[in-house]
Amino acid sequence: MTSLLTGYMLVLLLPLFVASWRVSLTGLSLQGLLMAWMVLVRRPALSVDLVVTLVDLVLVRGLVAPLALRRVLRSQRRPSREDVIPPNLLSWSIVVGLVMLGFQCAAWLHPAAGGEHAQVAAAATGVLLGLFVLASQNGTFSQAVGALRLEYAIALFELGSPTHLPVALRLAQVSIFLGTVLTYAHYVGRLRSTELAAPAARIQ
Amino acid sequence: MIAALLLVVLPLLGALAALALGHRSALAAVLVAATGTALGAWLAFFPGAPSGHLWGDYLTIDPTSRLFLLLINLIFLGVVGHIRGRMQRAPEVLDGIERFIALALAFLAAANLSVLSNHLLLGWLALEATSLAAAPLVARRGTASAVRAAWGYFLFSSVGLGITSLGFACLARSLEHSGAEPVFFFDQLRALASAPPDAWREVGLALVIVGYGTKLGLAPMYSWLPDAYEEAPPSVTAMLAGVQFNCALVGLLRILQVYRDGEPRMVSVALLGIGLASMAVSTFSIIATHNYKRLLAYASINHGGVIAIGLGLGGRAAYGLVLYVVSNAFIKAILFLSAGKIDDHYGTRDMREVSGLIKDLPASGLFLTVGTFALLGFPPFGSFLGELLILSALMRAHYVLVFVAFCGLLTVTFVATGRSIFPMIWGESKKPAPNQGLLTAPIKLVFVAALVTMGVFLPHPVSSLFVDVAASLGGVR
Repeated sequence: MTSLLTGYMLVLLLPLFVASWRVSLTGLSLQGLLMAWMVLVRRPALSVDLVVTLVDLVLVRGLVAPLALRRVLRSQRRPSREDVIPPNLLSWSIVVGLVMLGFQCAAWLHPAAGGEHAQVAAAATGVLLGLFVLASQNGTFSQAVGALRLEYAIALFELGSPTHLPVALRLAQVSIFLGTVLTYAHYVGRLRSTELAAPAARIQ
Repeated sequence: MIAALLLVVLPLLGALAALALGHRSALAAVLVAATGTALGAWLAFFPGAPSGHLWGDYLTIDPTSRLFLLLINLIFLGVVGHIRGRMQRAPEVLDGIERFIALALAFLAAANLSVLSNHLLLGWLALEATSLAAAPLVARRGTASAVRAAWGYFLFSSVGLGITSLGFACLARSLEHSGAEPVFFFDQLRALASAPPDAWREVGLALVIVGYGTKLGLAPMYSWLPDAYEEAPPSVTAMLAGVQFNCALVGLLRILQVYRDGEPRMVSVALLGIGLASMAVSTFSIIATHNYKRLLAYASINHGGVIAIGLGLGGRAAYGLVLYVVSNAFIKAILFLSAGKIDDHYGTRDMREVSGLIKDLPASGLFLTVGTFALLGFPPFGSFLGELLILSALMRAHYVLVFVAFCGLLTVTFVATGRSIFPMIWGESKKPAPNQGLLTAPIKLVFVAALVTMGVFLPHPVSSLFVDVAASLGGVR
């Protein structure tokens, strides 16, 4: 595993054990920036495709997504503690188990050891952990973080693919992701205020 | 070919115009929807209508896109007719109506694009765009529960579509490992799909099925659907159930058109399992609920389950599946739009507090009655024939246990739905309406006529289109 992927795994895992929204958002930001670094290491030749990929990874994933959520949370004056997974031994054990499962998946899908194998393992682990965060939390912010973790892991997986899409389609992809992130931020802000104002009553 | 592009461009222009037109924006939406329906009908039935690829092969006009373009534009026409009727009867809906209409038209543009798409990722992006447009529509009422439902809807949509895109990436890896250049055009994929199956393709297909299944509201990721369908305004629920559901289904159909032959067992097992699980969870939920909008939402999950089973059976059930899918869209539009009127009139969604509908609101009561009979699969509706053909295909494929479970769940659903809905219709009158607006009645009558026609006799151009779509799923011509 390269040092960049090792760094990626660290920023993937550490925020799960530190119950702070600032750490979660920093982790997301670092994931985006590390993926951009991986792209630069692999594809140094300048092209439109490279520029769009860097805009996606550095600007949108590395900066806009975490900052949009940070702005909402700061405006709500949220306490710094925000558990992304339940803080107990069972959850931590599940995380360790999912990391092992991610590596097992990579061994099954891509048996040959090497950089690509490690990238598939990191992406599979990211997907599984994203789904775990989504499954274990009810809070809007934690769910948004879970969904974003999943999206980032998919982006890491796609970095390893040799497929080149037309620039228009890549731009549309980035725009849709940006729209998704801003919608997440909107609901993280709006749900907090509406929930505090009026708890829901429902006929089952 | 211009007709196909107009189906995308006109709603987008309509969306921009709606923002400027204020309260007259509904009229623009009706015009756009009527034009879309006319264009859809022309593409579907006119012998000289264009076919093949356009816009650098990114879009396609084939039997699948012809059928679903007509269907979703017709349903959308019913929806905007309902909105216009509401605007005349309930002035409170006028607040922010231009934004509502603009988003609905943007939703339609994206829906048409996703159906026309010949490219995996373009179709996926368009579907994702429908979710972005629909989320604020779901939250339109602005209550805490509506906002939470919109959040749940959007979260599950983006996660489901994220899983789908991961599936696409795995399918691309599969092509790369077989030595082929990864492509995303369906027609090129068909030519490459005969390569021997590998782990990447199996994982990719499973992810795509689960991802699109989430968008279709199938088990295990269905929990967003009852909340969203209940909390959204009835017009939006009808759009989700009649338009977006079909766009996601087209995405799944196209994947199955390409990959089913290479992985028949895996596809069958996955879809039959998901279908039965969806039917089971919805049946128990139908028994437990006292909320008629939620009951209809659970019935949607149930129908989604039947459709998944039909898809799992492949060619044997293909014609029945097409009949069932088209019937399902009309049934949902009739029922959800009628449920909205009932909610407006009685001010409650509790079915124990609604009775004598047929006397209080004769038109809505009648449509609810007809829609419920069609929902339960009674003759002479298309849903009856579709369900019968799917059941017969189950027996011919020797899936006896699935057949028994299917029939058992269907019977329980039948009893539980009838027990809940019929007292609402026939019971004692509670709140007679002075006169019910009939603005949406003509389009609902068209939906009912379509349901009956599909169950009794399909004229040649329609039946030939259905046969062509069924053939693309492996059905016999």
